[in-house]
Amino acid sequence: MAWVVVLVAVAGPVSAHRLDEYLQAARIGIDPDRVQIELDLTPGVSVAPRILTEIDRDHDGAISREEARSYEARVTGDLHLDVDGRSLALEPVERQCHLVGQVLKGEGILALQWEAKVPALTPGTHRLRYRNGHHADIGVYLANALVPASTRVAVTAQRRDVDQRELVIEYELGDPAQANVGWWLAIASAVALLAILGTVPRDPQGEQSPVILGTVPRDP
Amino acid sequence: MRLYLRLVMLLAAAVAAVSATWPFRGEAPAALAAALPAGDATARIVSAAQALMKTLDDSGQAKLQFPFDGPQKTRWSNLPTGIFERKGLRMGDLSAAQRAAVTDLLNAALSRDGYRKVTEIIGGDEALHKANAGPPGAPPGGNRVIFGEDEYYLAFVGAPSTTAPWMLQFGGHHLAINLTMAGSQSSMTPSLPATQPAKYTIEGREIRPLGKENDKAFALINALDASQRSQAILTYKVSDLVLGPGHDGQTIQPEGIRASALSPAQQAMLIDLVHEWAGIVTDAFAEPRMAEIKAALPQTYFAWSGPTTNGSMAYFRIQGPTLVIEYAPQRSLDHIHTIYRDPTNDYGAKFVAK
Repeated sequence: MAWVVVLVAVAGPVSAHRLDEYLQAARIGIDPDRVQIELDLTPGVSVAPRILTEIDRDHDGAISREEARSYEARVTGDLHLDVDGRSLALEPVERQCHLVGQVLKGEGILALQWEAKVPALTPGTHRLRYRNGHHADIGVYLANALVPASTRVAVTAQRRDVDQRELVIEYELGDPAQANVGWWLAIASAVALLAILGTVPRDPQGEQSPVILGTVPRDP
Repeated sequence: MRLYLRLVMLLAAAVAAVSATWPFRGEAPAALAAALPAGDATARIVSAAQALMKTLDDSGQAKLQFPFDGPQKTRWSNLPTGIFERKGLRMGDLSAAQRAAVTDLLNAALSRDGYRKVTEIIGGDEALHKANAGPPGAPPGGNRVIFGEDEYYLAFVGAPSTTAPWMLQFGGHHLAINLTMAGSQSSMTPSLPATQPAKYTIEGREIRPLGKENDKAFALINALDASQRSQAILTYKVSDLVLGPGHDGQTIQPEGIRASALSPAQQAMLIDLVHEWAGIVTDAFAEPRMAEIKAALPQTYFAWSGPTTNGSMAYFRIQGPTLVIEYAPQRSLDHIHTIYRDPTNDYGAKFVAK
């Protein structure tokens, strides 16, 4: 896991940017066999030094790979994910996590991503529960389900607590066999359509005659 | 004849009103855009872009021009300089003639109301800059975060063309306009109109850059009956944009009330609200875009979080198959962020060849 971190000493806050809050915005993608969580962490300008001190544990002004991993592990420990009451293990995704902008000015973002394998589920209704308890004292939360990439998954409801620390996503999982039937039907329909088009009589120029809806008189 | 004179007077008053809001003072904007076929609008924008390029030396042109497939396309933000580094032609570095050419270009690319909105956002940023400038004599930008009317940037991503795709990018603190064009096709998404302060005065006149967005949204939520409100109003707080800068290509699950559950009058109010974003661009581009949004209205959702009394702090989102609009006060009624997206056509994805 590569972290690119630059600590910049800055005096003076940016007017009216996030101050004493720690924004934590999650987007959750559901596939039939896995769940992905993207979490953007944005400490406000007045809490950023505290958060960076927690990350930069040796206080050398730089964040080492180990310090980054350690903080990521702490965040991971503060998250909970279960499907139908069965806890799911969150695995950090191997990607570049980074600080965008300058955290000390209240606009840096720590972008983290996890994946969790979902055990085989029967077709039907399921319930995914996500809870974020990271820095509950200063946390401000967003949590949203992404539109599923898989046609087998359809989100039917989202329920949250008032602060969005917890999000319950109800979704319908389709039958893989039916999904395959759908594909075969689509392919068969396409083949049939091509066959029909191939038998349409054409005019001598080899082009279909246009349908004339009306004529407009023209100047000579 | 009297009607003609009245129209001329109204137009003159409108031009004067827009001139007063344009922060590059002393320069009158060009004639306001009339509705044109989309291809003609592109030609007009290209012509204005080329006129601007003629005012620049080689160095200026190099700052302005970026390859179409490079990283500049997605390099935009609501943040001020010092936190986010923009590239392009910096307004503060331009001569009066060059600024006038930028004014002409923005007039060609934006609708009359869009131009007003953009200039009022810049005016608000300049007011904020002056309020943060420190004591007299202090160097501008002394707090190292730099904003204000000089700190807006213009970039051409791809060479201006009436046929090939290119993008006009204009933005700074609290503003990002990304207009992609290819012949008669266009997309002004993603764009980010925001404002701080939300209200200020110039020469005794109250300016609210995003005031119509606020007022129309409150009018709509208050036009819903109790049952409709129970569907539209989310039971949780939303403290920021969900799909702000950096969230290209993401689509969240829609929530709120479907427009198909609204009366025709309420639907008209929703369309009118959407037009505040879709109508920023010149009318010739806005008309087909609005037609597309209207066609998908039954699949469009309106969601609200917060109190429903105008003057309160509330978030709202409008989301359809080709549309995402979010309006998010930033812990203050005086600091508003919004985002305007088309998840199917951001950066002209539909008409730009891969």
